Amino acid sequence: MERNELAQPEVLEYSADGVDLTLIRWMLSLTPAERLQVLQRFVNSVEEIRAQNAGD
Amino acid sequence: MPATDFRAVLRVLLENGVDFIVVGGVAAVLEGAPISTFDLDIVHSRAIDNVQRLERALTALDAYYRLQPERRIRPQESHLSSEGHQLLMTRHGPLDVLGAIGQSRGYEELLEHVTELQVEPGHIIRVLKLAKLIEVKSETAGEKDYATLPILRKTLEEKGHG
Repeated sequence: MERNELAQPEVLEYSADGVDLTLIRWMLSLTPAERLQVLQRFVNSVEEIRAQNAGD
Repeated sequence: MPATDFRAVLRVLLENGVDFIVVGGVAAVLEGAPISTFDLDIVHSRAIDNVQRLERALTALDAYYRLQPERRIRPQESHLSSEGHQLLMTRHGPLDVLGAIGQSRGYEELLEHVTELQVEPGHIIRVLKLAKLIEVKSETAGEKDYATLPILRKTLEEKGHG
């Protein structure tokens, strides 16, 4: 197989300054309501972990 | 500490007829930026009737200043009529009520840079567009903003490709 047959259009995972572009594309694929749900779940998870470790 | 529930805070503001724009980290997330935040930032109209509606909503939210939580100081109409930042705790988590952001940019100025989004059935909120959010954050950027600005800029680029 010729080398250039394997060539794929360049899709970068990270920008030059280190930003994860895959996360951005994933978030942009969601509706605004789904994006808020993602943030809410993240915050809920952190709060649950904090609560479980509150006595430490 | 109350559990954070962004939708519950937004619901109370909307049910009280408050004119406001969501800015800050939640606005960035709603615009598609993969960042995290623990407080809801809003810029409100400082028209007298709106300040009164906001005060009623904040009472319903049991809002008090986070700086001295033990004193449970409630925001007053005079505070809410100023350009200042009221950093509050509510029964549904932290809420920053901002009279103006960046270089004294208030509700009326920001209103032409919003998008209207539905976050649950029947509830439409105004959210500051990502390009304006980047511009405002750049004006007064602190360390936290320097960390997130590259992500916001790349998100704006990716939106442009979509």
